[in-house]
Amino acid sequence: MNALDIAYMWDLVPVIAGYIPLTLFMALVSMVLALILSAMLAIVRVLKLPVIDRGVAIFISFFRGTPLLVQLFLFYYGLPQLFSFMTNINGVTAAIIGLTLHFSAYMAESIRGAILGVDRSQWEAAASIGMTQGQLLRRIILPQAARTAAPTLMNYFIDMIKGTSLAFTLGVTEMMGAAQKEAAGSFLYLEAFLVVALFYWGIVEILSVGQRRMEQYLGKAVAR
Amino acid sequence: MRKTILTAILALSTAVPAAAETIRVGMSGGYFPFTFTKADELQGFEVDFLNAIGEETGDDIEFVTMSFSGLIGALESGRIDTVANQITITPEREAKFAFSQPYVYDGVQVVVKAGNETEITGPESLKGRSVAVNLGSNFEEVLRHLPYADEIDIRTYESNIAQDTALGRVDAFVMDRVSSAQVIKESPLPLALAGAPFDGIENALPFRNDEEGKAMRDRVNEAISTLKENGKLTEISEKWLDIDVTKPLAD
Repeated sequence: MNALDIAYMWDLVPVIAGYIPLTLFMALVSMVLALILSAMLAIVRVLKLPVIDRGVAIFISFFRGTPLLVQLFLFYYGLPQLFSFMTNINGVTAAIIGLTLHFSAYMAESIRGAILGVDRSQWEAAASIGMTQGQLLRRIILPQAARTAAPTLMNYFIDMIKGTSLAFTLGVTEMMGAAQKEAAGSFLYLEAFLVVALFYWGIVEILSVGQRRMEQYLGKAVAR
Repeated sequence: MRKTILTAILALSTAVPAAAETIRVGMSGGYFPFTFTKADELQGFEVDFLNAIGEETGDDIEFVTMSFSGLIGALESGRIDTVANQITITPEREAKFAFSQPYVYDGVQVVVKAGNETEITGPESLKGRSVAVNLGSNFEEVLRHLPYADEIDIRTYESNIAQDTALGRVDAFVMDRVSSAQVIKESPLPLALAGAPFDGIENALPFRNDEEGKAMRDRVNEAISTLKENGKLTEISEKWLDIDVTKPLAD
């Protein structure tokens, strides 16, 4: 086998780098939406709100129980057969909606776990001074749960960044799609995929540094 | 970079149905030399071909690249209007889509070491000779269905059939014509096409089988006829493959 074509890899760097903004854009928007949605789902489950609780349980079960790629295909290529207006949803939007729904199912369970991890006495103490359920959740429980949930939520964000590589199946050329098309013309598959792998790795490493900082910050209140 | 984000945001905020004079063409971007990118620029046989069609019909051509597995779904759900990715016409596909006239005629091709093509001139000359085929391709089946199959020494290879033919370890290899032409063009190996391709297949553009799709198909068909007559299609084929694969196989 031939040695790695380093010059070619170097040429690919600006090409792939040009797609970083789109990848980060999809991941960031999905993450913000998934955080909001999953917090709501988790609260519904913790408070066992009648009727909706059943619906949320089914939602989580479905989106955790099927592969992301299957969900994207269902949503993007399948459902438009029933609802023709869905054809107007473009690939980027569909990818963001797919990532949001998929990951919010997982994240809801982590947040639920974190909420349940907050000592029972905190609920009772907050209730004893007359806080409403909304107040005690917002002021007492969620801030403590956020600290416990932070590392796993960060994990899901990392997974989400990598999940954006599936958007090429929906016609969105992102980092992975760009690498595949370049490799097709040069036949230098190893080089192209290595460059794109290093990019993902680099992005995730930078985020991990941010994660450590954030954990230090959130941990201040409980540091000994 | 800023443009990518802007486009993404724009694409998010506005969901515009395609204007009537835009043909949205799906392709994988992953099939050299038909569709691929170099330095982020989409190019290849299919790209030139569709642009030439656009010039004839006056339509804007908008290329949408996506992984191959998404292409047919995108066509069915109306996200693209056709697929330019060497789609072979089959009875099953014809029942579902409105195909244009064929623009690439592919077939099974015998390839030999350069110089031997005068001696081996097609499948009949393979009697009593050794022939390499790729494992997993259907060319072994094709050879076994020839009436004189018992007289052919068929060798199944994992890879490197071209190299072993050039080295003289086997007398010939068998592959589809378009890939064969491409191997001969791209690799430094001394190889030559032996005779005409046989067992032909035809590749064309599929459109949705509705009023709108058929109207577009008819418009495109006319353009393809023109490109065939004025030699433009042949020119595109020779540019990317060195040979003309746009004429029907003679049988």
